[in-house]
Parts: sequence; structure tokens; C-alpha cells
Amino acid sequence: MSAAKNFFAGLGILLVPFISIMALVLLLCIPRFSEFWNLLRIAPFYAGIYFWQSQRPDAFNSITAFLLGIFADILGAAPLGVNIITFLVFYAISQHLSSYFNIKKFAYSWLLFIFATLATELFKGLLVSIFYRTLIPFKPLIFEFLLISALYPLFTRFYIWVERRFIHLEERYEKI
Amino acid sequence: MKRQKVLFLKENYVLRVLKSFMVAGLFAIALLLILVHKIDLGIVSGVSNGIFYITAPLIRLVSLPADALSYGYKKTAAIANVYRENERLRQENEELFLLKDKMKALKAENKILKKLLHHIDLPQTQSYTARVIAENGDAFANSLIIYLGKEAPNIKRGYAVVNNRGLIGRIDIVSGNYARVTLLTDINSKIPVVSQKSRDRGILTGNNTNELSLIFTPLLAELHKGDLLVTSGVGGGLPPDIPVARIKRVGVENITAVPLFSASSLEIVKVIAYDIMPAAATAEELQ
Repeated sequence: MSAAKNFFAGLGILLVPFISIMALVLLLCIPRFSEFWNLLRIAPFYAGIYFWQSQRPDAFNSITAFLLGIFADILGAAPLGVNIITFLVFYAISQHLSSYFNIKKFAYSWLLFIFATLATELFKGLLVSIFYRTLIPFKPLIFEFLLISALYPLFTRFYIWVERRFIHLEERYEKI
Repeated sequence: MKRQKVLFLKENYVLRVLKSFMVAGLFAIALLLILVHKIDLGIVSGVSNGIFYITAPLIRLVSLPADALSYGYKKTAAIANVYRENERLRQENEELFLLKDKMKALKAENKILKKLLHHIDLPQTQSYTARVIAENGDAFANSLIIYLGKEAPNIKRGYAVVNNRGLIGRIDIVSGNYARVTLLTDINSKIPVVSQKSRDRGILTGNNTNELSLIFTPLLAELHKGDLLVTSGVGGGLPPDIPVARIKRVGVENITAVPLFSASSLEIVKVIAYDIMPAAATAEELQ
């Protein structure tokens, strides 16, 4: 009974980051305020992967990044696999960065996020260009990168709230 | 204290090796998916349809309160502008009355001329109205999700999607009561067009920006800034003469055009069911 309870508790912990990211993504799908809104939709993915991977690695793993990639590809009409591989690269970069640097300080964390996003966006641009065998325009790419970087604190606030509300470590281990 | 204990727990070495293998394995699967997508096997569309089937109703559910807010705002704005709008419509109505008689005469004349020339008309197209429930995409893709409701079984992949100004894209996926529309601005979009004025043909391609490129135009094409591009109907995939874009710049190297719609203002669209492609057996006979 206890093993089953632990299993479901573990599953629940893994589901919270996934659901929180998808909730923001679905929310950003709705309103159509302006042209640049389109470039904003990928931001919750980046902010979410980075935040959950660096702050709660026990609740986020590469499979979650993979699943998020599938949803991003299908929702955004991108070639299936492009966002999956991009998110896995982003996951690997942020995993590397968070193991070498002090990610507990928000300013450092943000700076590292900007670096990881830039590297991943360039990689994605290259991958898409190879896929379509044509150099894709870089202007939307840069604009998207700037938006993702600028809005990181905003999305992080939401993820922090979710973490504290649902799967805060002390609460979790007290319950189990 | 408890938090520290958990976060700095030493991982088992075997588990760590397995984890790194898992990441490598996921990379391999992702690469395989890209390759399968590139060679266009049926498996990918099956997976896409399945995931789309799950996510589209969720988006619809989330979009309902936003739709209500948007409706409320628009109604309030309409009430505020009712006098000015009434004046404008009165003026427009007068102009339309003058045009109506002219159009009637032209229609009758056209009918007689067609009869004299034994002209074969294109089949009548059926159209279905759909509501835009989400706009998707990023720097690399541009698409919409529309709600078709009970008309979904009548909609097929490749059908044209238009708004009151002209073509906005084509149906890409139909799953459940929803469909995904690939917009003209998407890098995958390639529309055969013709200049309404000079009748020069070309292919209008998207590149994920708000500007479209006109390629494969004749060497001596007479294309000018401001010319309207309409669907040519070549290939049989789209009905002819739907306005698509207006030429923005004619250069030596490239010709660019701007679409007639703004993705952020799309709410209601029309799907045009146009099936003139012959059956496989007939197509073989024709070749």
C-alpha cells in the first residue's frame, strides 16, 4: 500500500511541472493581441524547462522535456521532432550550467538562462534551416529570443508559486 | 533542513549512466522523428492527429472565458461607435445600390456569352464557417486552430481557408471537431498564384515573416507594386481567383508580397470544400 502511495506521489510530482508549463502554453494560445504575440508562445516552455530542471531536478527529467517537445511541435505546426530535439538540447545545456554555477541567486540564474536560450535558439535556427534546406529569416528568431529572455522573471514567478503551492519539498516529505 | 537532505542526495552511479543513456536515446528518437517527417510517412500524421485530438478541446475550453471578454469589449466598442458606423453604412449602401444594377446587367451578359462559347463552369464549391479558437506557432511556424463542430467530417486536408478579404491558409490536420490551418506566412506554405492584372503566374511562398516571396515567375513578367495576386487554380487544389496577397516590392532578385489578412484579427473563417482532383484511376488514364 505504501509502495503504491509512493508511486502515485512520485508521479504527481513529475506531473506538476508538465501541467504548469502546458497551462501557460494553452493560455497563451488564446488571445490574439498583436503580431509579436506569436513569438511569445514558446517562452513558457523555455522558462519552464530551465526553472524546473535547475530548481527541482527531482520533478523534471528528459522525458518531460521530450513530451513537451511533442506538444510544441503539434500545436505550433513545426516539423515533428524539431522542438523535441531543441528542448532536449536546452535541457542538457541548463543541466550543465546548473551543475557548475550558483543558480540559487536569481540574477545569475537569469543570466545563465539568457545564455542557454541564445545557444538553443541558434541551434534551432540551424536545424530548421537544414530541414527546409533554406536559411530562415533571423529577425523573428532574435525577437523571439529577446522576448523569452525578458519575460523569464514573469513566468518564473508563476512556476515558483506552483512549486510552493503543490510540491514544496518540506510539505511533500512530511506527507510521505 | 529536510530540503537540503533531499537535494544533495548522492545518486547511484548506475542510475546516472542509465540516465545519460536515456537522454541519448531520446535524442535518437527525436532525430528519427525528424527523418520520418521529412520522408513523409503516414506514422507521423497519425501521431499528430492523436495529439491534436487531445489538445484542441483543451484550448477550446481555456479560450471560452477569453472569447466572452472579447465579445463584451467588442459590443461595448460597437455601441460607442454606432452613430458614426451608421453614417458610414448609409453612404456605402447608396454606392452599392448603384453598383447592384450594373452587376445584374453584367451577370446576364456573362451568362449569354458563356452559353455562346460553350464554356464549362467549375463545380460549385461548398463552404463551411468555422471559429478560430487559437493562434499558434513561433518564429519558425505559423498556424491557427479552428473549431468546425459537426461539419468536421466534410472537411479534408488541403481545403482553402478564407476570410472576408481573401485566402489565409490551408487545412493541415483535421482531428475530432477541430482543424489546424497552416497560414500563408508559414514556411511550408506554397500557393500557385496569378497576377490579376497581367495574368503572370508564380508560386507564393511563406517564410515565417509577414512578407511572402513570389518565385518561379516568368522572366518578362509584368508585375508592379500594388498588383493583386489571386489563386491560379493550377494543380486543382484551390479554387481560382481568390485574392491572396498584394505585391509590395519588385526587385531584380526577388518579388515580395504582403498577405491580405492580419493573423491577430482573425475570428471567423470560411473553409472552402473544393474537390476537382480526379480519382486515382482517372488520373492514370489521363497521363
